[in-house]
Amino acid sequence: MLYEFQYVAPKTKSELLALLDRHGDSCKIMAGGTDLLVDIRAGLRKPQVLIDIKKVSDFKPLSFSEKEGLLIGPATTCADVIRDKTVSREFPILIQAAKQLASTQVRNRATIVGNICNASPCADTALPLLCLDASVHIVSKSGSRIVKLKDFFTGVKKTALRKDEVVEKITVPSSMAGGRGGFMKLKRIKGHDLSLVSVCLVKKGSLLRVAIGSASPTPVVLKDFPAQVTADNVADEALRSVKPIDDIRCSKDYRLFMIKTYIERLIEEC
Amino acid sequence: MRVKATINGRRIERDVPDSITLLHFLREDLGLTGTKEGCGSGECGACTVLMNGRTVNACLVLAAEIDGAVIETIEAESKDGKLSKLQEKFHKHHASQCGFCTPGMVMSLKSLVRENPKPSEEEIREAIDGNFCRCTGYKQIIEAVQDATGQLKKPEDIHYA
Ligand code: FES
Ligand code: FES
Repeated sequence: MLYEFQYVAPKTKSELLALLDRHGDSCKIMAGGTDLLVDIRAGLRKPQVLIDIKKVSDFKPLSFSEKEGLLIGPATTCADVIRDKTVSREFPILIQAAKQLASTQVRNRATIVGNICNASPCADTALPLLCLDASVHIVSKSGSRIVKLKDFFTGVKKTALRKDEVVEKITVPSSMAGGRGGFMKLKRIKGHDLSLVSVCLVKKGSLLRVAIGSASPTPVVLKDFPAQVTADNVADEALRSVKPIDDIRCSKDYRLFMIKTYIERLIEEC
Repeated sequence: MRVKATINGRRIERDVPDSITLLHFLREDLGLTGTKEGCGSGECGACTVLMNGRTVNACLVLAAEIDGAVIETIEAESKDGKLSKLQEKFHKHHASQCGFCTPGMVMSLKSLVRENPKPSEEEIREAIDGNFCRCTGYKQIIEAVQDATGQLKKPEDIHYA
């Protein structure tokens, strides 16, 4: 590594919350580490203390119940979700998106909660979770609160999370179980790449929801549509709701064009 | 940080600096230099090892994180100087050229074959989606896996041997 930091792996939630309270700005929570360690190596972040949350025993693992819906714990990896039979039956869209994230090795380490907390505009798993109306459950020494995922992202790599807070789970209501849809991600190469733009669509009963990635400072979910909506209506709404930029990966115009194309394809397929 | 782990079947207990990676620990401290460093940032897969049976990029895991884990590296692949089936078929089908990607490739494929003894071509490609090879063009690697899993029956299936 480039500099010396301290590594701590608290075993309980109260130990973790005390550490966050004590270290504030100088610490960083680590789950899979697949973004954080890359940033540290590149000199983009320089936390003094890394707090590994994977050993916290009172955090819950991945589970599903009618009452609580789908529960994604802070240490749940993309691979855990991809391999889970219940997720594959009830929330297949989440698996479609998780499979598009980076490489096998990274999916074995990267967590869903980490992908969300990193808050990249291109976060692959954010789109299905937005469509599925996920909630983020936050705790700190001073209490707990629940924020809707769509309100959790506040800017490029910025979230509603305060320095002393940690996400203890993400939940998806069981009313969205059985929803079907599609996820399309445009990449420069077939393998391991960030998205140039991505679109996710989920249909459940009379409801249709669409979320778009890499086209605004945060992943964006459009207003709810009736299931019979036309591709043109969704595309009009999408183009009003996103603010893509020209960047190193592609141009703004190409992004807008592909959003429209993917919406047309998804509406036709789903 | 004090870590206890099992590495290639051997139990170890060591004090490791908090800020070094598993890759650095394997290569510099344990002398297990079969695991390679390409990019150091999770892109190339040259550093692939198995952690509790799953492939990881050793450059993206801290040595401190392996406490309690079982780690397997390329050094455990051959036994008493005898190549594993996968290694033997890599050799036969020219799946290793400069060889820099090979340890990582073999680890990714070992993990695949363990879970899925007869992988399709698509499944083989997926299993190495995090392993770059700048030499072979991948076809020789796929053929080697197909041979190692008994899926190359006819002579006309073999292009690189
Ligand atoms: S060295 Fe670890 S992925 Fe390249
Ligand atoms: S054999 Fe040279 S990179 Fe694969």
